[in-house]
Amino acid sequence: MSFQHIRELVKYRNLIWVLAWVEFKQRYKNSILGYFWSLLEPLFMFAILYLVFSSIIPAQVEYYPLFLLQGIIMWSFFTRSTTASLVAISDKPQMVKKVYFPRDILVISGCITTLLMSFFESIVFLAFLLYFRIPLSMNALYIPVIIFLFFVIVLGTSLILSALNVFYRDIRYIWALVLQVGFFATPVIYPLSIFPPQLLQILSYNPLAQVIFLARDVTLYSRAPNISSFLFVIVMAGVILGIGYAVFMRLEPRFAEEL
Amino acid sequence: MTVIEIEHLSKEFQIPHEKRNTLFETLTGVLRPASYETFFALKDISFSVEEGEMLGIIGQNGSGKSTLLKILSRIIVPTCGTVRVKRQVTPFLELGVGFNRDFTAAENIRIYGIIMGLTPREIDEKTDEILEFAGMERFRDTKLRNFSSGMQVRLAFSTAIQTKPEILLLDEVLAVGDMDFQRKCLDVLERFKKEGVTIIFVSHELDDIAEHCTRAMLLDHGKLVMIGETRDVIARYESA
Repeated sequence: MSFQHIRELVKYRNLIWVLAWVEFKQRYKNSILGYFWSLLEPLFMFAILYLVFSSIIPAQVEYYPLFLLQGIIMWSFFTRSTTASLVAISDKPQMVKKVYFPRDILVISGCITTLLMSFFESIVFLAFLLYFRIPLSMNALYIPVIIFLFFVIVLGTSLILSALNVFYRDIRYIWALVLQVGFFATPVIYPLSIFPPQLLQILSYNPLAQVIFLARDVTLYSRAPNISSFLFVIVMAGVILGIGYAVFMRLEPRFAEEL
Repeated sequence: MTVIEIEHLSKEFQIPHEKRNTLFETLTGVLRPASYETFFALKDISFSVEEGEMLGIIGQNGSGKSTLLKILSRIIVPTCGTVRVKRQVTPFLELGVGFNRDFTAAENIRIYGIIMGLTPREIDEKTDEILEFAGMERFRDTKLRNFSSGMQVRLAFSTAIQTKPEILLLDEVLAVGDMDFQRKCLDVLERFKKEGVTIIFVSHELDDIAEHCTRAMLLDHGKLVMIGETRDVIARYESA
């Protein structure tokens, strides 16, 4: 990612925003409940999972309802972003074949759209925080940084997926399977401590697990972020974004021919 | 000054005999290398364009005109050869890229305008002018799904010409509109010419080419057959 490219992206910042906003508006234009659907979706998911797991987990976890809801919102940001970005290039052949702008803009704006959706859902989470009277400490200020790192990881992953999907149309099915497995390898419903130590070791290398772990720590448990987790996430974010751009830039010149 | 310099440009497309669209097919076919057919859309093209010129490109379908424009717009990359462009390129390869049928005319002007490179402020200032040029002031807040294709093209063109192009590439986009619209478009092109915009104009309408282009270029099956005085090039095309 050269400085030249970053300068180009800044030049196109209006385009990134317009595409993100148009996509966001479009998602709700034809639905009856409009923006409120964004709020109901995590609530439904939460209600079902809570009903099922509330008898098993809470003993080990403080503030389980919030633990669960936060996990759901963060995990769905990941699934939504990657799934939508997968087709960001292949679903818009016109944008690639008839006009020129840096193609990663299509992926970046897709991720921003889902970020906006997740912000809406977070309103519900904030309401829960107030209802349960969770004290927030100064550590909550780490949240914007954690969200930024999360965004970087999501963007890197999305870049790889969107580029591959242009050439291999079954990537979306493979990815759906990966997400299924990933859901259980990530502490959404339960803390990773329920797994035996060897498995726990392996799973703690899941960057998403660390991101969610950090987010919960600074909001729910008012703890300062664990230094090694934090560093791990920063490094992983850089690596994933680096690989993402490397793959994307290598495949990008052939997009217009392939579509 | 020369704004476009093309040297020994070639573009090869590889057309596989069986399309391997999925990872599954690619992996299972790893032992059977995919057979390709290579097709040269452009063969060793060299030419240059001066600032303010209006260069017409003519040739049969499949001669490589659109491929050349796409390479100039950076949509496709060359197989070999060099392309040097000293000004910003505004491609009009298809009008209305990014148009969304669920949004209104005004909203689509905004979307399309930004795609074509206008700033939000410019769009706000020029929206009225755009609607007026297209003759669609009444339809400002109508959703695009209610427009005919002709109206959409008019709207797209009106928006696109608000960008201040330095090099303009037109790929047969005028053919979609009616006579009035085509005349309006050509008037705009003449105005651009006076303002010093470099225009590359691909068209099958030889009359338009003869009337407006200072020079013309003939492509045949990817080869540059002739470039020079418009009249001579047209005569060569017609004699073939």
